[in-house]
Amino acid sequence: MEVILHLRQIINEFILQLESRHEQEDLEQEEQQHRQNIRNQEAILIHLMCEVVNLLHSGASSSLELQLPRLSLVSKGGAGSGQQAQSSREPDQLSHQLSDSKTAFISCYLSNRGIDFSALYQSNLQDFIAYKGDKYHEDKNTLGFINFGLSENKHCIDLLTERLSQSDMNYIDDDLLQYPDWKGHAFLREEVARFLTYYCKAPDLLDPGNVVVLNSSLSVFLTLTMVLCDPGDAFLIPTPLYSGFTLTSHLYSKVELIHIHLQSKMDTQTFQLIMDKLEKALLEAKFKGEKVRGLVLCNPNNSLGNIDTLDSLKEYLEFAKRHNLHVIIDETYMLSEFRASIPFHSVLNMKSLPDPNRTHVIWGTSKSFGISGFCFGTLYTHNKEVVSAVGAFGFLHGIAGLTQHKLCRLLQDGEWIDNVYLPTNRSRMQVAHRYITNKLKTMKVRFLSRGSGLYIWVNLKEYLDPCTFEEEQLFYRRFLDNKLLLAPGKAYMCKEPGWFRLTFTDKPFRLKVAMQRFSEALTHKKQNWIEKQLENALVESVSSPSTRRSSSSSSSSSSPSSSLSFSSSSFVNVDTSHF
Amino acid sequence: MATLPKKESRAPNTCLGLDTNYGDGLEREHSRKPDHKRPEHYGVGDPTTPFSSDGSHLSSRGRISKWFWDLAEEGYRTYHMDEYDEDKNPNGIINLGTSENKLCFDLLSSRLSQSDMLQVKPSLLQYPDWRGHLFLREEVARFLSFYCRSPAPLKPENVVVLNGCASLFSALATVLCEVGEAFLIPAPYYGAITQHVYLYGNVQLVCVYLDSEVTGLDTRPFQLTVEKLEVALQGANAEGVKVKGLILINPQNPLGDIYSPGELREYLEFAKRHELHVVVDEVYMLSVFEESLGYHSVLSLERLPDPQRTHVMWATSKDFGMSGLRFGTLYTENRDVATAVASLCRYHGLSGLVQHQVAQLLQDRDWINQVYLPENHARLKAAHAYVSGELRALGIPFLSRGAGFFIWVDLRKYLPKATFEEERLLWRRFLDKKVLLSFGKAFECKEPGWFRLVFSDKAHRLRLGMQRIRKVLTGTLRVAEDPPSSRTQEPRGQHI
Repeated sequence: MEVILHLRQIINEFILQLESRHEQEDLEQEEQQHRQNIRNQEAILIHLMCEVVNLLHSGASSSLELQLPRLSLVSKGGAGSGQQAQSSREPDQLSHQLSDSKTAFISCYLSNRGIDFSALYQSNLQDFIAYKGDKYHEDKNTLGFINFGLSENKHCIDLLTERLSQSDMNYIDDDLLQYPDWKGHAFLREEVARFLTYYCKAPDLLDPGNVVVLNSSLSVFLTLTMVLCDPGDAFLIPTPLYSGFTLTSHLYSKVELIHIHLQSKMDTQTFQLIMDKLEKALLEAKFKGEKVRGLVLCNPNNSLGNIDTLDSLKEYLEFAKRHNLHVIIDETYMLSEFRASIPFHSVLNMKSLPDPNRTHVIWGTSKSFGISGFCFGTLYTHNKEVVSAVGAFGFLHGIAGLTQHKLCRLLQDGEWIDNVYLPTNRSRMQVAHRYITNKLKTMKVRFLSRGSGLYIWVNLKEYLDPCTFEEEQLFYRRFLDNKLLLAPGKAYMCKEPGWFRLTFTDKPFRLKVAMQRFSEALTHKKQNWIEKQLENALVESVSSPSTRRSSSSSSSSSSPSSSLSFSSSSFVNVDTSHF
Repeated sequence: MATLPKKESRAPNTCLGLDTNYGDGLEREHSRKPDHKRPEHYGVGDPTTPFSSDGSHLSSRGRISKWFWDLAEEGYRTYHMDEYDEDKNPNGIINLGTSENKLCFDLLSSRLSQSDMLQVKPSLLQYPDWRGHLFLREEVARFLSFYCRSPAPLKPENVVVLNGCASLFSALATVLCEVGEAFLIPAPYYGAITQHVYLYGNVQLVCVYLDSEVTGLDTRPFQLTVEKLEVALQGANAEGVKVKGLILINPQNPLGDIYSPGELREYLEFAKRHELHVVVDEVYMLSVFEESLGYHSVLSLERLPDPQRTHVMWATSKDFGMSGLRFGTLYTENRDVATAVASLCRYHGLSGLVQHQVAQLLQDRDWINQVYLPENHARLKAAHAYVSGELRALGIPFLSRGAGFFIWVDLRKYLPKATFEEERLLWRRFLDKKVLLSFGKAFECKEPGWFRLVFSDKAHRLRLGMQRIRKVLTGTLRVAEDPPSSRTQEPRGQHI
C-alpha cells in the first residue's frame, strides 16, 4: 500500500507538472519542445497507471518492485536546448510502446517481468501478426499486407531452396541426433572459422576454438551481454540502432544501452559516428556513475546501411582499448553489400586488433544468406574465457544437429556461393534498389542508402506536421491502412522524428505494389495537410485564437512539398541535449 | 531489475560432480547452511558460490555460468577425450551417465531420410511466428491429445514451441517468478533444472527431500506426499523464500517412477490451495516400457484443479531419442503464460526445416504406433532386463519401475563412510575403470551412495559397461555387509 501511495503522489506531481506546462506555453520557439515533453510525460503517466493497475491486480504484495527510479521525472532539455530531449534509456521506449498498445497487458499469473515482456511483445508484434494473417498474394490476396518493415532478403529464396534441397544436405548420422557440444559441433565450428577467414579476409587463419555457434545473431548478442555485464551495467551504442538490441537488453540481460545519438545534419557525414561523440558520451556516462562495459557497433549498419571504413573502425577500437571497453561488433549484414565502390571491411580483416581479448564479432546467416528461418548465429572472439562462458549458455540456444550439418554444407560450398549465390543476389539487389530509389526520387522523397543492407533509410520529415514522434506514429498507421508495413525511426531510437526504414529486398511484383501504396499514402497525407490548413484558417477567422490551438497551427508553417525547412530547426543541439 | 543474490564467500568445494556431459544433470555443489542439524525435509537451493574476479573479463553472472560449464566440462572432457568405440578405441570410456536413448537410431534415421522430411519450402526459410509455425503447433496439439489421452482435443493456440525443455524451464521461470523467488521440487531430481531456472531467471529451487526408507503411510521408497510438500513449503516461507510453483517430473528422473492419477491430483490440489503454478515435465511420457504401469499424463485428467496454473512440457529428446533435434514444447491453457513465453522465443527458436521434420514425424501415427513405439519399448525392456539382472546377480539393490532410461542404484554399502566425498570417490573409481555413471549428489539426493545408471544403450556397450562396474564393485571393500535396512529397494512384484 505504501508503494501505491507513493505512486499516487508521483502521479499527482506529474499532473501538476503537466498543468504548469500548459500554463507556460507561450514562447513560440519552444512550442514543439513543450509538446514533446508533455507527450513524454503523458506516456510516462500511462505507464505509471499501468503499473498501478498491475500492482492492484497482483495484490500489492510488498515484494513487488516498481521501476520508478528509472523513469526520470525531471523534464529534460529544458528551455535552452531547443530540442525535445528524452531520456536515452529504455523506459522511454517502454512507455512509448505501452502507450501505443491500447491496453497494457495485465495478468495475475505472471511475474512483473513476465507482464513487461508480454506487453512489449504484443505492442511490437501486433502488426506483424496482422501481416502474417493477411499477407499479400498476387492472385489470392491482392489487398493483403506487404511487409517492408521486416529486414528480410526474399530475393534469393529460390536459390537457397534449391541448394538446401540437394542431396548432400540430407545426411543423418547418430551423432547428429545426440546431445551436441553446446558450442556447436566441431565440424561446423571448423567450417565457420574457414568461412570467416575467407570472407572477412583475415590475415591469418581463424581458430575454430574461438567460435561458438548459437541459434541466432541476437542470441549471441544476448549471451555476450550476459557474460560481460551484470544487471545495470551499460554499453554505449550509436543510434539509430537495431531494435533487437533494445529488446534483448530489456528482456533478458538487463543491460543499459547508452545511446549516442547520431544526426542527419550535424556531422561531416550524415549519421556518422565521430570520436568526439564517443569520448563525450563515455565521459558523461561515467560522470553519472554508469558502469560502462563496452561499445556496440553494427557494421554494415542496420537501419542506415552504412559501412564503416577500416580507418574509422580502427579509431573506434583504439578508443575502446584506451578505456578498457569491450567491443561487440555485429557483422550480420556482411556479404549484403551490393556496390563494389563501397567495400566492406570486417574487423577480422585487420592486421592486428588493438585489443583482441575485448573484441567480439557476431555473424549469422539470416541476412547474408536470406534465411532468417534457419536460426543460426555465431560468435568469434579471441577471448577463451568469453568463449566458454557464452558456450555455457549454449544449451538454451542450441541448434539441431541436422541443421548444423546443412549449415556446414552451405558454408563449405564456396563455388556455389561465389559463382551462383553472391553474384545473383548482388545483381537482384541492385535492380531492386535502383527501382525503389528511382521511385523515391520521382516522389521527391529524400533517403540515405550507402550500398549495403537490405533497406533504405527514408526521410519523411516534411510530411510530419508537427515533426514529432506522435506524427511519425500516425504516419506509420497511415501506411498500415494502405496495407504497407514500414519500420518507423522511433523503433531504432532515432533521435529525429520522420525517418522510416524501407526494405527493398523483395520480389519485383511486390515492390511495385508496395511503391504504389507508398505513393498513395504520401499523396493522402498531403491532401490531409491541405485540408487541415484550410480548416485552421477557417477556425482562426471565426474564433479568436486560443493558446493551444494557435500553437499547433503556427508551428506548421512549412508546406509539405518544401524540403526540410522547418524540421531542420529541430536538429539544433541534439547532442548537447543528450548529455 | 535482475540482481544476483549476494552470497557470502565460501571456499570452493572440491566435490564437484559430473554426469552430465551435455547438461544431463549438471550438478552443482549444493551449499547448505552449516548449522542445519535438524532432519532435513527441504532445502533452499543456492546456485551461487564463490567466484574470484581477478583478471577476469567476465561479469559475475558470466563467471557463474562459466563455473556451471566447467563442472560439466570436467566429465565431458574426460569422456570425450577417450570415448569408447568398439573398433577404434575398445578401451575407451563407456557412457552410462547421460540419459540418452541410443537404441533406435536406425529406426529414426530411416524415417528421417524419407522424402517427406526433405522438403524445403521458402516459408520455412523465413522469419517464423515466434511461438512456432502454426502447422507444427497444430500437429503438437493433435499428438498430445492422442498420446496424453486428453478428454477433449487440445488446442494449437495453447502450444508454444522452442528449442528444447531447458529453454522452456528457463522461460517459464522467468515469466512466472521474480528474481530470487523459488519453485518446489521433489529431490532427487534431474539436476540440470537448477541451472535452467537460474541462468536467466535467477530463480531458486526448494528441494522437497525424499527418503529411501519407507516410513509412515508410504508404500514405496522416495515417495512424494502432500505432507512433505507442505513441510517444505512452510520451511521455505519461514526462511522468507517466496515459492511460486512446483515442478513435477513424470515419469520421474532419476527414479524412473510414475505418479498415479490419484497422486497427481493430490499434488495439483495442494498447489491450488497455495496458488502455486505446477510445471509438469513429461519428457519421458512415451518411454514407459512396462505397460502394466499405466502411465497417466496430467493432460488426461478429467478436470485440472487449476488449469490456469498447470503447464505441461514435452520434447522429442527422450521419447524419440533425439536430444540433438532440439525440440521442446509447452502446453498451457493460460494464454498470458503462453504469450509471455512466446515473447522470449526469439532467443530459443528452432529452424523452420526442423519444425517441418518434427511435424512430419508426429503426424506419422502408423509409423509411431506400429514401428517405432513397439520396437523401442521392446529394446528398452530387453536392455533393462539385462542390466537389472546383472545388478541382481551382484546383489545390488536398485529402484526401477519400468519407465525412463535409467536405474537408480543403491551403492551405499560400498561407501566406507556415508559422505558425498566417498560417493564421489566411488564415481571416480568407475571412471578410472572407464565407465561413466551419474552420482546421486548431482540429483540433490540427500543420501550419499545412490547412482543413476543409464541402460538405453547397445548390448555390446552395456555388457562391457556392466563388466567394468562389476570389477570396481568386487574390488571395493564392502563396509557394511548388507545392512538390512538398505536391503531391497526394488518394489515388490516388479522385476522377477
